[in-house]
Order: sequence, then structure tokens, then C-alpha cells
Amino acid sequence: MTPDQLADLSRVLYSPTTLVLYLASAFVYLYALTTTVGRREEQERGRRAQKLGAALAVAGIGTHVAHEIVRGLAQSRFPLGNMFEVSSLMALVGVVVGFVYLTFIRKRAELNGFVLLGGALVLASALLMYSEPGPLMPILDTWWRHFHVSLLVGAMGIFAAGFVFNGLYLLRDTGERAVARRREQGMHGSTVGAAYVGDLEAADGEHATDGASAGLEGATPSGALADRTTDTLEDVGDDDRDHDAEYRAALRAGVSPWKLAIGTAIGTSSVAWVFVYAADSLGEGLGRLVIINLVMVAAASLARWFVPFLPSTATMDGLAHRTIAFGFLMWTVGTIAGAMWAEQSWGRFWGWDPKETGAFLTWIAYAGYLHARATSGMKGRRAAWIGVGAFIVLMATYLIANYVIVGLHSYAGL
Amino acid sequence: MGWRWLVRMKTALILLGILGVQTAIATAVPQEPNVPGTVEAWRSGEEGPGELVAAGLDAIGAFDVYGSAMFLALLLLLFLSLTACLIPRIRAWVRLVRRSRPPLTRSVGKQDLVSEFQTDRDPDDVHGEAARLLSDRHWRLRGHDGEDGPPAQVAAEKGLWSREGGSLLFHLSFYVLLAAIVFGQLLSFEGQVGVVEGDRGFTDTEVAYWNYHPGRWFGPEQHAGWQLRLQDFEVDWIRDPTAPGAGQPTTFRSDVTVTDADGEVIEATVEGNRPLNIEGTKIHQLDWGYAPRIVVEEGGEVVFDDFITTVALDRAGFRGAVKAPAATPDVGLDVFLYPFAPEGEPGDPPTLTGAPWDDDPVLIVSQYRGDLQLGLTQQTVVELDTDLLELEGGGFLRPGQQLTIEGVTISFPELRRWVGFQVSSRPQIPWLLLGSALLVAGLVPALYAYRRRLWVMATRTADGTRTLVRVSGRAFQRPDRFEQEHARIVAALAEATGELPEPTAPPPAASDPDDGTSEPATAGSHSEVIHR
Ligand code: HEM
Repeated sequence: MTPDQLADLSRVLYSPTTLVLYLASAFVYLYALTTTVGRREEQERGRRAQKLGAALAVAGIGTHVAHEIVRGLAQSRFPLGNMFEVSSLMALVGVVVGFVYLTFIRKRAELNGFVLLGGALVLASALLMYSEPGPLMPILDTWWRHFHVSLLVGAMGIFAAGFVFNGLYLLRDTGERAVARRREQGMHGSTVGAAYVGDLEAADGEHATDGASAGLEGATPSGALADRTTDTLEDVGDDDRDHDAEYRAALRAGVSPWKLAIGTAIGTSSVAWVFVYAADSLGEGLGRLVIINLVMVAAASLARWFVPFLPSTATMDGLAHRTIAFGFLMWTVGTIAGAMWAEQSWGRFWGWDPKETGAFLTWIAYAGYLHARATSGMKGRRAAWIGVGAFIVLMATYLIANYVIVGLHSYAGL
Repeated sequence: MGWRWLVRMKTALILLGILGVQTAIATAVPQEPNVPGTVEAWRSGEEGPGELVAAGLDAIGAFDVYGSAMFLALLLLLFLSLTACLIPRIRAWVRLVRRSRPPLTRSVGKQDLVSEFQTDRDPDDVHGEAARLLSDRHWRLRGHDGEDGPPAQVAAEKGLWSREGGSLLFHLSFYVLLAAIVFGQLLSFEGQVGVVEGDRGFTDTEVAYWNYHPGRWFGPEQHAGWQLRLQDFEVDWIRDPTAPGAGQPTTFRSDVTVTDADGEVIEATVEGNRPLNIEGTKIHQLDWGYAPRIVVEEGGEVVFDDFITTVALDRAGFRGAVKAPAATPDVGLDVFLYPFAPEGEPGDPPTLTGAPWDDDPVLIVSQYRGDLQLGLTQQTVVELDTDLLELEGGGFLRPGQQLTIEGVTISFPELRRWVGFQVSSRPQIPWLLLGSALLVAGLVPALYAYRRRLWVMATRTADGTRTLVRVSGRAFQRPDRFEQEHARIVAALAEATGELPEPTAPPPAASDPDDGTSEPATAGSHSEVIHR
């Protein structure tokens, strides 16, 4: 095949093929998540759905990898030379690591839907930066650079997965707190809805499995209660199921959709304004900003709907922490490799160039998360918020350093 | 405030936060050491948010964040806080390592994770088997000692030194890095110089550099005094305008000879990613441009004859200047070079393409006379200060042609290239590498060594016929993983003692996620753990 044909093939493999497979897998997995609280037949259907989701995810990963290879062949170089390629690989690493980690290590495959949804979002946003395959500047074509960029991009993908877990943790925790608050009010005889919570609490003794003893600040006594919803409830009668449905509705209602939408829009805009800055015309830029915001708000609202089906806050928090810790290690090694490359290429190991500054800032932000996570007074929500902030820092510095202030590392705008 | 304030983790977090804000400022505001031109433009209001804001930024040192007093103060506080935090941690760690013995337990059944099985081997045998098995798996052991006290058992632990030790190593490596950076600033040297192809080259001495940045403790006598000549410089591009990446450079290579102080000659090639290393001094190829030779004659007398260095302009072409103070009054030429400028229609000027390859070069010269103010005003090699100069005329010049304006003859006999080299000596590099290696070597156990304790206690069953083996364990992090490890150890021990383990009741607290610091919180509640 000619390079042109290869380029066409790589594009088709990327979009729509991989994008559609990821999205399909995400929705199948999300459906499976809702069945974890259902009847036996429903759970059986959920298990089958998980298998289908896994097949779709593996197919998507396959076409994604094929895309990377074909694109590499089309331009006879490692496909890590511009923003599009970096974002694409970030999505791939995020999906593969998240999928393998959840499915095989943590055995929490039911959460894969969120990882694949996140991967699809990164994949789609990379299309905003699409560029045709092309050669690389010779100065950029060195082993050190590939090592450095692969590590940092891999870490970005992992941080993205960590961000998803932190976000879900915060949603779940917000819901649980709201329910706990309402119960407290109920004890003072104010809210009608409190009754069912009391009922459930009574039933709690029989079903309590895990979560309550997590020792996390965020895990309120309702943690154990909440966890029932995700564990197999095969012997629960219809009455209990009605209570569960009520409880689930209460959890979801605990997360204010307006606050969530506005918060998501603010967080998204704090990063996505760069697209306005970098666009050819103001209209085009604002259009992009609005679309990105709408997509992110839609994704957040979708995640809100799934709040009742999530595992305990302690589990979500642990997932976020382990993912981010691994990303931090990769980021550290990758940044050091970058300094070694800079010394090799430009004769200075560190020059506070915008990208170097951005890498440092991100490192500090995630170190802040790890410290907060290790400090008893800061655990739980506060640490999770710092984690969310760190991801915003990561994305903002990544885009700013490529689109707003272009330094020595420039590969943007190709 | 004071020491206690410094020791708190929250303080470290706040300080890291401030460091983050400062770094964010440095990302958003141009930094003088990196892009002095842009900073100048911000100050004058030509670019950026305007003069007033720029003055404000200047006042808080935002144009040079990493050189500002605020940054230094923050760095000092950070390291004070770090030190305050590390001293007690190191003490505690040393105590932990010294004690070096896993604690014994009085009631093995009260731990988080307990499994038991029975065997026909006698208890001492089982303890011996357990000790062998655990030490194969790199657990630190303690056998039962003495008759009094807790019952006979094998106590083991893992990860207690390494996790904290790794964290300490990680944080201590900051001192190595800081020292390397500070001493590096003082002891290093960096200079830039341009060398024309085939020309006389340059000698490594203080005065030969165009830009010279020695550290405070770097003396001029430390220059080795070698001489570098550029034999050949090769540069090429993707010339096909329809090809992907059109116009990108593909080759960028200098063939140089270096004659060291002893007269030894080294031939070498310097490329973008391959600097030349001469006795610890690195030579990087940074920059390049065309170097037209220009001869200026006035009244039959040569007042200038040299290669001038031209630098690439943002959009297209190269710019340079001729400054000939030997003429009276001074002659100054403003020179633009277009490397690929084919002839246009007859009577039209050449077509100035933006292509950087010299297939058809042309010079556009403007001639000035008057006072060049050399040494009186700030000016770069490529620009004239035309304040006290008068424009006399100009024209196009092809290689080999000449041009006469107001009695001054300008000729352009040949076109070469020049390469900008950076010469640097950085004795701190090995120390930085060491610091980075310690950093990573500490980080891995700090994040991945999990603290665990394990006890194996074998006792006679009540009827005295068999031996009851109880294996209990406790995980400070990732209990979910420890469950599996615990099960594997129990299975291995049972196999070693010739039994299959009985299925055990599920542990009371299953699959908690990892919890970084459960130790201080839970240590007190496990009063049956006996520390000796
Ligand atoms: C002011 C300076 C600092 C102080 C006082 C400090 C203090 C501490 C302390 C006390 C811990 C142990 C937490 C625990 O396990 O209980 C810790 C852990 C850690 N610190 Fe720092 N630190 C500082 C700076 C940094 C910096 C600049 C970084 C990296 C960018 C960093 C990265 C880490 C990491 C990765 C851990 C391990 C966290 C974990 O165990 O999960 N620290 N630090």
C-alpha cells in the first residue's frame, strides 16, 4: 500500500471504528453495572453483557493498536510526534491500563464502562487536533525522546483513569452524605423520606458485607448499607428491592444536577478556553468550547445517573489512589528522561521552558494529592478534590504549552 | 508558627501549593532568561496585557520567577519544612531498623486475617517449616524466645523498613538535587559562538565567545584552549511542497576538527542529538545561518572584507549587517538574504520565495553612511542603529556581482554558512543523575512496599493428638492483596507439613482498599501485639 492509502486506513481505523467500539463497549458495560442490583435473571443478563462489553473493548483496543501501527507505517516513524498522536496514545494507554487493572487485578470489571467512556472522550477530543501523517524533525527523532514522551503520555492516560475514579468517588460520596444528612434530619422528625433509611438500617445487619470498616473519613455508616446495592442480593424479597430502589433514587438525588453541571462546565472551561485561543476565528473557537462543555456535562450527568450502582466510596478512593500513584511514578521517570534528552539535544537539562514548567507543575500537583492522601486530616474528599485539580493542571499545562506559549519542544501546530 | 508549624504536613502542602502558583505564573508570563525579547515587548506594551500590568508583574518579579527573592524564600521554607519533617522520621526509622525484630503476639486468633489447619507434625517442626518458608519469601523473622511470655510462635514482618526507608530516600534525594543545582550554577560554564564554514574557526578562550555565562566559581584559566574549525556543514529539507512535512529540515550536521592544547587533532561530526565531548566540555550545534562574504571598497581602498553572519527571520529570508568603521564617515549595510530567489520577468525584481535552500541566492542591500555608534548603543551583530545614519541607496546582488552606490563599491564574491555552537561544561551532571536515581529508587518502595505482619503459631490440640496451626496476618496497606498472599502462604505451609488446609471462615474485614496510614490508627487497637 502507498503511504496515502495507509494514511486513509489509519484514519478509518481511528474514527469511526475505534471510537464506535469504545462507545459501544462503554454503554454495554454501563448497562451491566445497573444489573448488579437486580434479580437473578437480570444478573445473568448482566454477566453476559459484561462479556459482550469486554469483547467490544478488546476489539476497540485491537483497532486502536492497528491504527497506531498503520499510522506509524504511513509516515515511517514512531507515531508520537504531534498533539493528535499524543492524545491518541494517551487514550490507548488509559483504556488498556484501566481495562486490565479493573478486569484482572482489581476484579471490578463492572466499572469498565467509565474507563471506556473516558477513553472515547479523549479519542474524540484528539480529533480536534487531527493532523495528517508526516515526518518528524530530525532533532526530535531520538530514542531519548521516544522514551520520555511515551512515559509521559502513558502517565497522562493513567492520570485520566485516576481522574475518572476520583470523580466517581466524589459523586458517590456526595450522594451518600446527602442521604446521611437526610437521615439525621429524619431523626429530628422533619423529613418523610427518612423512614425508609431507618428500615434499611435495620436490615443492614443481615447483609453487611464490606466497606463499613474501611476506616475512611468519607465512609459514613451508610457505607455498608450502600454497598449492598452492588453485592449480589439473591435472596432479597420484593419489599427489600423496593426499598433499595428508593435508596438508590435518594443517592442519585443527593447529587444536585445543577451544581454538577455548573461545576463540570467551570472545570472544563478552565482547560478548554485554550481551544478558543488557538482557533482561527472566535466563532469557531467558541463553538468548540460549547461542544466540549456540552459533552463533558453530558458525561458527568450520565455518571451521576450511575451513582447508586457504584461500589463503596472506599473502593473508589483506593482505585483512584493506586492509579495515580502509578502514574506519578511514570511521570517522575518520564520527566527525568526528558531532562536527560534536553541535556543531550540542547545542552541544558532544564530551562523552565513552558513544557518543562508544565511537567513540574503537574508533578507538584500530584505530589500534593499523594501527600493529602497520606495525611489523616486531609483524606477522602479533600484529597480527591486535589486529585481532580491536579488533572485540570495536567490538561491545562498540556494545552497551554502546546497552543499558547510554544517553546523549544514545539511539535504543536503541525 | 515556628518549628511545630514547619513540621506539619499541611504546611508542606501549602508550600507545595505556593510553589505550584509560582510555577503557574512562570508558565503564563514570559520569563526573561528564556525569552528576553518577549519580556521587553510586554514591558513596552507592544505585546501582552499592557504597560501598566507589566509594571505590576515586574514589581513582583513575575518576569523572572525562578530568580526572584520570593522563590528563594519559598525554596528555603520548603527545605526547612522538609528537614523539620525528616529529622524525626529518620530517628524513628533508625529505631525501627535497630529493633529489627517483628513483634510477638499473645493471641494469634485476634488478628485481621486468621487461617488454621491441623497436622500430625509436632509444633517445633511446624515452626521450623514456617521459618524456612517465610525466609524464602523474604520475610524478616523472629522465633519464639524463652519460656515465659507469649506462646511459641514464628513472627514475621515485611515492608516495614523499606516503605518508610524508600520514602525517606525519596525526600533525601531532594538535598542531593538541590546541592547539585546550586553548586552546578557556581561551577559550570556556558558560551555560544558562531563559526563560518572553512573559516579560521575559534579558540576556547574567554574573549572568543559571543555570549559568555560563566558560573561565579568558574575561572577563565579553566578553559582548555582547544581550537575548533568547521570543515563542512550540511543541511537539507523536504523540498517537495506537496509532501507531508514540506519545508521541514531533514539533515543538520557539522563536520568539525578540534585541535587540543597539545596539538592533537580530532575529527568529529556534531549533530542535533549528538554533541561532541572534549574532556568534559560539550559542544552542541544549536543554530545556523548563511554567511555571505562581503567586500566594501571606497576610493579603491578595501574598508571591509569578511563573512557576515545572517540569522533566519520569522517568515522568510535571513538578515545581517555590515559595519565598516574604517571608512569615513562609517559605512553601514543593512543586508537581507533570500537563498532561493529566481529571476522574475525581465525588468522585474527577483521572486523572493520563502524557501531556505540556496539554489538561487540574492542579497538586498541598503547602504547607510554616518555614525554607526559602535560601542555606544546596544545593538546586535545583525542590526544597525540607523539613528545617526543616512540612507544612500540600495540594490540587489547575486554571487559574484558588485554594486556601486555613491562611490562605495559592494561586492558579494561567495556564500557560505555558519553554525552556532554552544560550549558548556557542567560538572553537576553526574550528581544530578545520582540524585534522580535515588529519587526513583526511593519512590518505588515508598509506593509499592506494603507493610505486613504475620504470625504462625502451632500448638497441640486439646486432646493432644494433633497439632493446630494458626496463621494470622495483618496488612497496613492493600489488605485485599494480602488476603491472597496469606492464602498462598497457608497453602504452602500446609503442603510442607503434609496437610491440606481446611477452608477457613472469611476474614472479618475483607477487601478494604489500600489505606496509606492505617498504622498509627490501628496499632493502638491491636493491644495483643507485643512490642519488645
Ligand atoms: C516540603 C517538603 C515536603 C515535606 C515536608 C514532605 C513530607 C512528607 C511526609 C511526612 C510523607 C509521608 C507521608 C506518610 O506516609 O505518612 C511524604 C510522603 C511522600 N512525599 Fe513528601 N514531603 C515534601 C515534599 C515532597 C515533594 C516535593 C514531593 C514530590 C514532588 C513529595 C512526594 C512524596 C511522595 C510521593 C510521598 C509518598 C506518599 C505515599 O506514601 O503515598 N514530597 N512526604
